[in-house]
Order: sequence, then structure tokens, then C-alpha cells
Amino acid sequence: MLLKRVVPHAVLLAYVAAVLFPFVFVLFSSLKGSNVEIAADPFGIPKTWHPENYLEAWVKAKIGVYFFNSVYLSFTSALTAALLSAATAFAIIRMRYPRIGRWIYQTVLIGMFIPGNVLFIAQYLLVMNLGVLNTHWALFLPYTAGALPLGVLLLAAFMKSLPGELEEAAIMDGLSSAGLFAKIVLPLTLPALVTVFIVNFLGAWNEYLLANFFISKDALRTLPTGMVGFRDAFRTNYALICTGIVYSVAPVLLLYAFLQKQIIEGMTVGSVKG
Amino acid sequence: MKHPMRNPWIYTLFTVPTLLLYGMFFLWPMLSSAYYAFTDWNGLENYRYVGWSNFAAAFGDPDFRRAIVNNLIFIGFSIFVQIPLIVLFALLIASVRRLRGFYKTTVFVPSIVSTSVIGILWGFIYEPEVGPLNRLLALFGAGPVYWLAEPKWALPAVLIANAWQWMGFYIVLVLAAILAIPRELHEAAVVDGANGWQRELNITVPLIMPLISVVVMLSIAGGMRVVDIVLVMTKGGPVGATEVMASYMVNEAMGINPNYGFGTAIALIIFAFALLLTSLYQLTFGRRTEGGYF
Repeated sequence: MLLKRVVPHAVLLAYVAAVLFPFVFVLFSSLKGSNVEIAADPFGIPKTWHPENYLEAWVKAKIGVYFFNSVYLSFTSALTAALLSAATAFAIIRMRYPRIGRWIYQTVLIGMFIPGNVLFIAQYLLVMNLGVLNTHWALFLPYTAGALPLGVLLLAAFMKSLPGELEEAAIMDGLSSAGLFAKIVLPLTLPALVTVFIVNFLGAWNEYLLANFFISKDALRTLPTGMVGFRDAFRTNYALICTGIVYSVAPVLLLYAFLQKQIIEGMTVGSVKG
Repeated sequence: MKHPMRNPWIYTLFTVPTLLLYGMFFLWPMLSSAYYAFTDWNGLENYRYVGWSNFAAAFGDPDFRRAIVNNLIFIGFSIFVQIPLIVLFALLIASVRRLRGFYKTTVFVPSIVSTSVIGILWGFIYEPEVGPLNRLLALFGAGPVYWLAEPKWALPAVLIANAWQWMGFYIVLVLAAILAIPRELHEAAVVDGANGWQRELNITVPLIMPLISVVVMLSIAGGMRVVDIVLVMTKGGPVGATEVMASYMVNEAMGINPNYGFGTAIALIIFAFALLLTSLYQLTFGRRTEGGYF
């Protein structure tokens, strides 16, 4: 009986250790003095601590620049996409144009079935023709657009579940449809909106392919591509590379610590529906 | 009086920006890909219609055929190695009461981290001189192994890094399905005298088959989409050992001599493969497990 209770935990703890080991290893390595020290004792805690690696990476390797580019691009595109999806979901679900609403819904959902990298080259040509290649618009626009299908899908499902008496109340109060959306529906939709925002944010924060090819100016790079460039430039200094990894992983882990329920729900629901 | 929920101006304001962005970045690229794929456009003004020759050239290139095989290996590894492990871990997590939340939260972590960062991180683990994997082997007097530089090791190394990133995500997905099974079914099985693993195999697994089927579909889609981790860890090398269709497409289309016509043809091939494999699966195994789970 005891064995039966211990074995599952033993197997699971081994797996958890395999999941966590790379993170712990990177964290320890980021505080070590040199490659020699990492190689001599790759699994141990640092013998001498070198927190100055963090300052060096932030300034010298421009991690700070990549970091802020990632923060504001992810934030603005996630927020824009969440609000646009909410407005569209409101229009097609709550406003009284059912036929055109169904048509819009079906059209937008097709987007869920197109694998992202299939559109990559055509999107590259599009941003080139728009004249925004090598500006942040080249990422903001596809990130925002890319988040719309899932956003509309999730928020439409949520808005369908809101009670029908809302409209009556709004009409009694003399609210317009826009007023109803802004003052009543949007606040009620907040939980779903947060989920959609987070999924959008993580998607933009982690995106690599577009960021790598649509932006070549170093000052405009985001963390995922900046990090790869950083690795290629500092190939020999593993402590510094690990510092960079910590910088790009820490904010996401922090977000996860507070919002794990929404993150897990948003990501899993999105995948299953897609 | 006009109904406030029928206001064409508001309706336009609320839907047109979405439709515009969506049309520009989904529908238009799809249509323009279907057009460029039949041209030899390389970014300059002049280009001509070349019929199916881009497609013929792709399938005629041994490097591309290698890439197709590698995509299939990614899919096969997900289905035959990862999914059994995913189901096993999900069953184990569901079987314990203590620490269940901790296991669920922890195994999910790698799937929220950027693939490029995971590529860098695992590149360090596989590093021949200072990487921990070879340091570990050295304790037993083995190595050093050049994990990402030797053709026979590079693909398994990338497969493991990719599995490490995504397994937790699917474990959480399967776990949710297991926990949604009504308790009474288990209790009935206990009364019937089924022991622990009989119960899991005969009751739980069939009940979560619809979800496992979804995971298979997602694995197929994921296996066709894989590209970031390859570009970051190996760029498709050494000598094409880890090349997948999407990395081949990117390397061909965006290299020093860009060839957008050829690249979009590859994009359409990837799309066709994804559709073909998912519908094949649906028509064969998928149908048996359809249960309207979601």
C-alpha cells in the first residue's frame, strides 16, 4: 500500500526535476564568474557570486532595449487585439444583424485553421509593400491581426452567455449600442478579456519568426531575436548568455505566478477550439 | 423609434477594423501566396508565370524531401513517444491528491517560455565543452559528444528539446479531461473488483480518447509548424540533418538570393500536407473516437 502511494510521486518528482533543472542551471550559471567555473561544477551553486553580470548584460548587450521593445509591442498589440475582438464579438453577437454577423464570424474563424508559418512570406511581402518593413508596425500589425480569430471566438462565446435583459435595460436607460458596449458589456466581459489579453501578450512576447525577418535594426529588436543575436555575439561567455535568458524568462514566470489559472485556461481552451 | 441595437454606423465602426486587419494579414496573404507560387518572383520588378515548376523543383530537391521526412519524424515522435508519456503522467497526477496543483503548475511552465529562449537554453545544455550533459557523461568517462554538430545526434537532440517544451501543455490538457470524468464510474469499477491500472486502462483511457484524438491532431499541426526551435538551435544543419519544411522555406526564400515565388510554393505544400494528414487521421482513427467531447 505504501509502495502504491510512493511510486507515482517518485515518477512525477523525477519529471518535475527534469522540467525545472534547465531553469535552475541557467539561474546558477548566470551568477558564476566564467565558463571555467561553469564547466568545473555545472550543477552546483556559484562559489563566488557575480550579480554584476546582470548589469553588464542589461547595458552592454542592450537587453534593456530588447526588453522594452518586447514589453510595449506585446502590450499594445495584445490590448488592441483584445479590444477589437471585443467590439467585433459584441457587434456580431448582440447587435441585430444576424445574417451579416454569422458571415463575419465564419470568415474570421477560417483564420484558426491556417498554420502561421504558411502566411509568413506573403506577410513579409505585404509589410514590405506597405513600406513598414524594419519598423515596429511590421510586427504590431501582424501580431494584432494574428490574435483576432481566437479573440473573436472566445469573446463571442462569452457574450452569447450574457443575459438578454441587458438590451432592454440599456434601452430603458437611453443608452446607445456603443454606450451599452462601453458601460455594461465590457466590464462584464472583463474575465474573458483578461484571458484573451494574456494569450495575446504571451504570443507576441515569445514570437520569433516574424521578429527575426521583419526587423533588422538592432535598436528595434525584441527579446526572442535580440537574445539569439546576443548568443551569437557572446558565444564564449555563457554566464552572460544565461543572464539574458533570465531576463527574458523572469517576466513571464512572474506573470504566471499571479495569473496561472487564466494563462492555463486561455492557452488550452484556445488550442482545443482551434 | 429605431432600435438602438440596429445602428449601421456603430456596427461598421465595431467590425471594419477587425475585418480590415484580418483581410490584410490572413485572406490576402493566402490569395497572394496562391498567385506567387506559380511565378519566379524574387523581389524585383520582372517576374513570369512558371506553372508548376516551383512545386516540381521542390519535390525534386533531395534536401526538401529530407525536410518532409524530418517533419514526419517530428509528428511520429509526438504521437508514439510523447503521447503515451503524456497520458501516463496525466494519469499519475490525477491519481495523487497531495501536490497535484504543484505538479500541474510546474509541468506547464516550459510551454509559456519563448521557443527561441528554449533553443538557446538547450543549446547550452548540449554544449560540448561546458554543457552539463557532457559534464555528466564525463563523470562516467564518456564523451564529449557533439550533440548539435553530429548529423546522427542533432535531430534527436532537437526532438528532446521540443518535447520538453510542449509535453507539460498536453499533460494539463489531458489531466483536465481525466478530472472531468464522473467519480461514480470509478466507484462502480472498484465494486466490480478492477484494480488500479486495469481501471485506468479500461475505463479512464477510453473515456478520454476524444481528447487524446484532439492531442494527436494538435501534434500533427505542431509537427508541420515546427521551425523556431530548428532555426535557433541548428539552422537546419548539420548538412540538413534537422531541416524541416518551414526552415527550408525560410532559408530558400529569405536567404541572400531571395526567391519568393519558390518560398510561397513551399508554404502551400506545407498547408496541403497539414490538411492531408489531419483529414487522413480524421477518416481513419479519428472517426472511431468521435464523441462530441468539445
